[in-house]
Amino acid sequence: MLSIIKRILGQMKNDKRSLGLLLFAPLLILTLLFFILGDSNYIPQIAVYDMNEKFVAELENHATVILETEKPEAADYLEANDVDALIWADSAGTHIELLEKNSKSVAALEAIQDTTQALQPTQNELIVDYVYETAGDNQLDSLSYVFLGVISFFFVFILSGMSFVRERFGQTLERMLMTPIRRVDVIGGYTLGYGLLAAVQSVVIILYAVYVLQLQVEGSVALCTFVMILMAFSAVSVGALVSIFANNELQLVQFIPVIIIPQIFFSGLIPIDTIPFGLGNLCYLTPIYYGCTALEMIMIQGKGVVEIWPWLAGSVVFIGVLFLANVTALKKYRRL
Amino acid sequence: METIVCEVSKSFKQQQVLNQISLTIEAGRIFCLLGASGSGKTTLLRIMMGAIPADGGSVTIGGIAVPNRQLLALIGYMPQNEALYEELSVWENLKFFSGLQRLNWKTFAAEAEVLLQIVDMAACKNKLVRDCSGGMKKRISLAVALIHKPKLLLLDEPTVGVDPVLRRKIWLYLKQLRNQGTTILVTTHVMDEVSQCDDAALLRNGHIIAKDTVKNLIDQTPDGNIEELFFMDKHPEKEVISC
Repeated sequence: MLSIIKRILGQMKNDKRSLGLLLFAPLLILTLLFFILGDSNYIPQIAVYDMNEKFVAELENHATVILETEKPEAADYLEANDVDALIWADSAGTHIELLEKNSKSVAALEAIQDTTQALQPTQNELIVDYVYETAGDNQLDSLSYVFLGVISFFFVFILSGMSFVRERFGQTLERMLMTPIRRVDVIGGYTLGYGLLAAVQSVVIILYAVYVLQLQVEGSVALCTFVMILMAFSAVSVGALVSIFANNELQLVQFIPVIIIPQIFFSGLIPIDTIPFGLGNLCYLTPIYYGCTALEMIMIQGKGVVEIWPWLAGSVVFIGVLFLANVTALKKYRRL
Repeated sequence: METIVCEVSKSFKQQQVLNQISLTIEAGRIFCLLGASGSGKTTLLRIMMGAIPADGGSVTIGGIAVPNRQLLALIGYMPQNEALYEELSVWENLKFFSGLQRLNWKTFAAEAEVLLQIVDMAACKNKLVRDCSGGMKKRISLAVALIHKPKLLLLDEPTVGVDPVLRRKIWLYLKQLRNQGTTILVTTHVMDEVSQCDDAALLRNGHIIAKDTVKNLIDQTPDGNIEELFFMDKHPEKEVISC
């Protein structure tokens, strides 16, 4: 088993480009995502009708304010003039009309909230209306954990799947099995060897995300890293298992969308209990679900081991099941 | 080790590749399995090691029934294609496979030096395999098969792509191994290699059509050309077209 681990690390050492891709490509993608989804200092455009002067003055500190003398029809007005929000007040309270939920409307809402807070909470209630109502509450900037999980899973999956396919077709697998080595040791060596590389990758990603990109982590960074490492191990096993069903490298690549895309659905991008026909229950079959849920609880909700242990246990069980499946699958290459 | 193949059959999909093959390979001999490409030589070798199951029949090596995991420590296998790790150096490849055979470092280092001399690769042992030529890979692969001093050597077309000088050197070494008691099974479709071996069997259409010492086989032919044996098939069957 140790021989296999050493060999995998040696192979990587002599293949600098693959190693570089494993470690730095995720950072590149994360950085890109950070800038795409991150705080772009967008100044919202807010139209105001018949509000008191103090409010307008304060709002101008937070947004570009357009004063309207007639109350416009919200839907047409917002769309036609590229305005993010429209505010007016009546006896019921302060009305805020927004077009749809996106990062711009979030910025507008924040500006308005900042304004009302600065002016001391008014007795008037804030009534928020969207022209286009969308299901769910997704604010992209709170989904950092999804990207951390998916990106690291993706790269590790490709690495382990590809190397296993190559090993099978270069017949080095057969040669390896024509020694007294146990099948358990082959899979164990593989999982640990690539798992070790994947663990390094996880640590690099999380440190980069937290200390360079300044990603918000409410809970413990160490615990995050641990969850990422568990997820990386399951990615190695999934890669090895899928490679059994691929007859060549091309087919493995074709498996990527089949394996990865459904996992993204269950990673927390879409709230699982809103998925119809009980399809949400499929999440228990996707290793990313366990990892990403745990990551979400740590990073967003600031939970600790006590709260997330069921998901950690889920990850471990998953890795165990995949391990046994892989050991059994090797029977195809040697009967014992 | 004496190897006994008893009534082994194997078919892939509809095609019968091996049909009730029985074969005894005596210990301490170089045995040549001769056959055209696609005649099932590699399949027979795989069955003998226990890599794939036969449809029927049995294989025993040194009295132990195949498959047996411990038995594999006594077998050295050189596959037809190189089956080496391209990203590793020559030395690292040897080291890895010796690790799988649980050789300790000292035995390995001494043995590896000797083997690299024999296959003429000592000068470039730190070269990465991906930078080696086809013939070099073949030689490294042979060294890998020999690293744990196996009692039974299964070599699948070992000297294809190796130049004549080195080929002679390799044959000399194989004979030396035989004299030390190693049993060697070589598959080939090159007829002139047969003369280096002690015994030979001819595989054709899933049957062994002849099996004897090389000397006797040559005596049976009218002009001393062992290729003639393929045309002297006593049980001519309809040619099996295998594609």
